Amino acid sequence: MRVTIVQGLEQAYYNLVHMIAEFLPRFVVMLVIILVGLLAAYLLRHMFRAVLRLTKLDRVSEDAGASRVLRMADLPSMTELLSRSIFWITWLGFILIGVSVLGVAGLQEQISRLFRFLPEVFIAMLILFLGLVLANFLSRAALLASVNAGVRSPKIWSWSIRFVIWILAISMALDELGLARQTVLAAFSIVFGASMLGLAIAFGLGGQDLARRALERYLGNSAKEKYKEPQPL
Amino acid sequence: MADETFLSDDLLRQLMSVGEVDLLVGILSHSSANTMRRAAHYVEKSLQQNFVRQRVAIISVEGGTVEDTRSDGDSSDGQPGSSFYSKGLSSLRTIHRITAGFSGTPSPGLALRTILSSSDLLRAKACAVVSPATSSMSPEWVANLLRPAFRDNFDFVAPLYSRHKFQGLLARNLLYPMTRALFGRRIRELYSDEWAFSSRLGTYCLNEDVWHEEPVRSRPEAWMGISAITSDFRCCQVYLGEKPSPPDGAGPDLVEVLRQTVGSLFWLLETHQQAWMERKGSEPVPTFGPEHAVTSEPMELNRTRMFEMFKTGVKELEPILETILSPETLLGIQSIAALDEHSFRFGADLWVTVLYEFAASYHHSVINRDHLVQALVPLYRGKIYSFIAEYADASAADMEEASENLCLEFERQKPYLTEKWKAGVEVKS
Repeated sequence: MRVTIVQGLEQAYYNLVHMIAEFLPRFVVMLVIILVGLLAAYLLRHMFRAVLRLTKLDRVSEDAGASRVLRMADLPSMTELLSRSIFWITWLGFILIGVSVLGVAGLQEQISRLFRFLPEVFIAMLILFLGLVLANFLSRAALLASVNAGVRSPKIWSWSIRFVIWILAISMALDELGLARQTVLAAFSIVFGASMLGLAIAFGLGGQDLARRALERYLGNSAKEKYKEPQPL
Repeated sequence: MADETFLSDDLLRQLMSVGEVDLLVGILSHSSANTMRRAAHYVEKSLQQNFVRQRVAIISVEGGTVEDTRSDGDSSDGQPGSSFYSKGLSSLRTIHRITAGFSGTPSPGLALRTILSSSDLLRAKACAVVSPATSSMSPEWVANLLRPAFRDNFDFVAPLYSRHKFQGLLARNLLYPMTRALFGRRIRELYSDEWAFSSRLGTYCLNEDVWHEEPVRSRPEAWMGISAITSDFRCCQVYLGEKPSPPDGAGPDLVEVLRQTVGSLFWLLETHQQAWMERKGSEPVPTFGPEHAVTSEPMELNRTRMFEMFKTGVKELEPILETILSPETLLGIQSIAALDEHSFRFGADLWVTVLYEFAASYHHSVINRDHLVQALVPLYRGKIYSFIAEYADASAADMEEASENLCLEFERQKPYLTEKWKAGVEVKS
């Protein structure tokens, strides 16, 4: 009995030692990979930041209106945001490689799935970013055009354009990720269709006079109503 | 030497058949064939009466939409004797007529480049450009423009017009005082439809690699004038006569005019920054005829609407103005926008600060440049409202004094622009 217990304990001890002996080098390798990754990520971040500063990305981003959106969302400048993203993506990649060295059953499959998914995440992020930039640019253009033309409630036009482009960009990004494709498509169709129908009904019922005046102006029948200001040149 | 690769074979054939000339007059494209014919008639009459011994040619730059102006018997082959405008007037020399046709309406920049290339190939000593859109043009205008360039060796001849006191307010309140203060020459009409130049200036401009730039495509005359000033060509201005405003609806849209003129001015500040930063004060240029003349017939204006559009603009565009103007200047604008219609005044000092901050923000590209210029439109409306209210009953002398004071204010604040211009753009992170 005693011998059996001692043998069992010895076996458990040997197994533990064997496991530790087998695990420890892998763990050390993982730590090394993570540390190297941290270093590589730092280097990449600084290099990327320097390159972006040289290309004056912040000015382009300011010009396109993206910086304002980032400020509104309490996010750092475009250069800082991208260089931080590069840091985290690089380090995360190294962490995942390091974890895969541990050889934990089931984890390998999940990690490889995650790596396969990464390009789609990037594309979705790119779509969202371009949508954001386009929405801001066009909504600002609409705001300026409607203010200068003396249109009432110019912000409504500006926000409508921003809203439609956001919805479109979010739908495209979610579609790219393959998340609830049918639901997203249906939701987009409903939101977009409802907005257009709402506008059509609102204009049809409430804007009869406006439509008449617009048509008259277009056909040149009400020159007297035209806003007169001195010729600038 | 002209880069003739963009000239059509037909045009080159016409130019070769003409040979060399002393004077060339270019008529810019216009959508109405009648106005093109009328302008060509005046030009021909002027040349026949005033330059009887000179070899002269007229070049019409026409778009595809223009009705065929050759239909009245003109062969447009550049050959002598094929006159469709001539009404029995005699001249010692033949007036050659050349037509530069384009499939669509050419941009003013392309039209000017065509005229410059033609002038270069024809070795014209002086060249004038006229617009058929100017309804008050007379034969004397062409002669008055050409004489200083041809006989007095001036390189750039700018026009001077007599106008209604509330017309041309963009030139009076912005373009003239700002260009005068920054480039140091007192030329009133750099953004005009008529002007003249010497072969020296023409060749200089032709060799510049800027023809693809939008400001040059849309307002080439301003670029040519500024190039003449900054490169120390001899400039002068000549009085032409009354320039009536176009009939209602025929004039260009205010936003479009500001985009073209102010956009062009800001672009010129950037391309010639070395020149304007070094200059101090301003000098008059030789002027032929009265320097300023205004008329003051009653004019129907919707001033209340103008004021409303200013107030709405300041309120709705606040986030955009925040990125362009300094907090103090924006506060100044907002405080005057809070005033009522009767007590509202847009002071010269604030107006100049606003414009200089817009120019510096354009340079630093704080937002899209076209959007930036559009954001100036409501503020311009406010300034014009204030100007009309202030000078409703003023005499020509009072208005001239106000213009002079505004010019001096622009000159006084010039160091502020230089400082803002050189300061790095503040990128919020």
